[in-house]
Amino acid sequence: MGSKTATEAQKYVWEGAIPLQIHLHESEVTTLPPPSPALILAPRIGYLPLLVPQIKPFFSSTLPPGSDTVWFEYQGLPLKWYIPTGVLYDLLCAEPERPWNLTVHFRGYPGNILTPCEGEDSVKWSFINSLKEAAYIVNGNCKNVMNMSQSDQSELWRSVLNGNLEAYIRVSSKLKLGLGGDDFSIKLNTSSLKYRQSAADAEASATIKAGRIPIRLYVRRVNEDFDDVEDAPLVDNWDKVSYINHPVEIHDNGKCFTLGDAVKALLPELFPDKSLPNDSMSLPQVEDGEGSALEEASDTGRARSPEDTGESVRECQDSCSLSETADVKLIRIQGIEPKLEIPFAWVVNNLMNPEHFLHISVYVRVQEPITV
Amino acid sequence: MASEHRKVVVHLRATGDAPILKQAKFKIDGSDKFVKVIDFLRRQLHRDTLFVYVNSAFSPNPEELITDLYNNFGIDGKLVVNYACSMAWG
Repeated sequence: MGSKTATEAQKYVWEGAIPLQIHLHESEVTTLPPPSPALILAPRIGYLPLLVPQIKPFFSSTLPPGSDTVWFEYQGLPLKWYIPTGVLYDLLCAEPERPWNLTVHFRGYPGNILTPCEGEDSVKWSFINSLKEAAYIVNGNCKNVMNMSQSDQSELWRSVLNGNLEAYIRVSSKLKLGLGGDDFSIKLNTSSLKYRQSAADAEASATIKAGRIPIRLYVRRVNEDFDDVEDAPLVDNWDKVSYINHPVEIHDNGKCFTLGDAVKALLPELFPDKSLPNDSMSLPQVEDGEGSALEEASDTGRARSPEDTGESVRECQDSCSLSETADVKLIRIQGIEPKLEIPFAWVVNNLMNPEHFLHISVYVRVQEPITV
Repeated sequence: MASEHRKVVVHLRATGDAPILKQAKFKIDGSDKFVKVIDFLRRQLHRDTLFVYVNSAFSPNPEELITDLYNNFGIDGKLVVNYACSMAWG
């Protein structure tokens, strides 16, 4: 976010919303006929508990007595409230379902599965602490966030609540967490005079040290062999999703660092490096015709420093059993399935969430080992 | 994703008026979640409300893996966890 104005892609992300059709769970229906479902547009960058004030009026007349502890469920899976709504949708709906049918509960909070939530206060607490965590990854401390004035902090939170991107950029630029411009966009835009200024801004801010990108990665493993993504079985248990917090380091070695390079750094076991010397065990190779995007991604990975390659060798061997039988089926960020050749800096600058984490959903197909 | 069975040393430090534990350093499985540290502290201190931070800076989500926290924020071979009975760092 080198420039102080929003990019077109950022506007799309902030305006992005998911149509929800929310049903009250049958165990909480006390009236006949049961209440109609609530239809609500949920912002992608928002969180489910923030919708409660809108949802409650639909159902308050039919609720059984007791105090409210609101939670949401999709096909039997209690939804983690601190994951942005758009990420839940990308991760859990292999084939996008519109409207997305969710069930709301006002009683019987599943405390063994979900961390406690006391409405907006809990969500704000979680948001600010994620922001601090991101700042720590980028700067090695989070003084900028901790030293924010109370009014700036609440303005930042309100900008997220209200989806006000202009206000968000105004306040968050004070945190100096920007990555700087990416060369790809600068080259793309230099023909237009209007963008010269922002390119210059981006260059100026590129001097800020910012090589580490905070990532939240959600890996869905699908055991069944499925050809179409929409055939992927539903997630009925959070154990089937690996939740990984691992920053990606953007290397400035003159070559464009792509999304493919980033995913490879995050999941080295899924991208066996063909350039590795064969020692005791031969590493599995990507089969021809397995998808040229993956091939290219693993080619560009050769430019990595020896130190990094060493690390990926070790991790590769640790999880060799996985690498032989798993492949990446789908990568989703903010509802889109970007090509692996896209410059990673562009992805970060345009598709990250307001708490400065880039949330990536990956579908991995794990095949049963073939015995010969 | 890769199976991490490495143990992580967690250094528990009291902040503010929180009681100090007799034993401050523990080994914990890298594949455990941060909630395990929080629950341990709750039991030791007999308190339901507790504020738990990493590096006197932020409260991680209880679901984060110890190994991720250690890799991202570990200092001198250990993960420093601060705990307080009232909010210490907004």
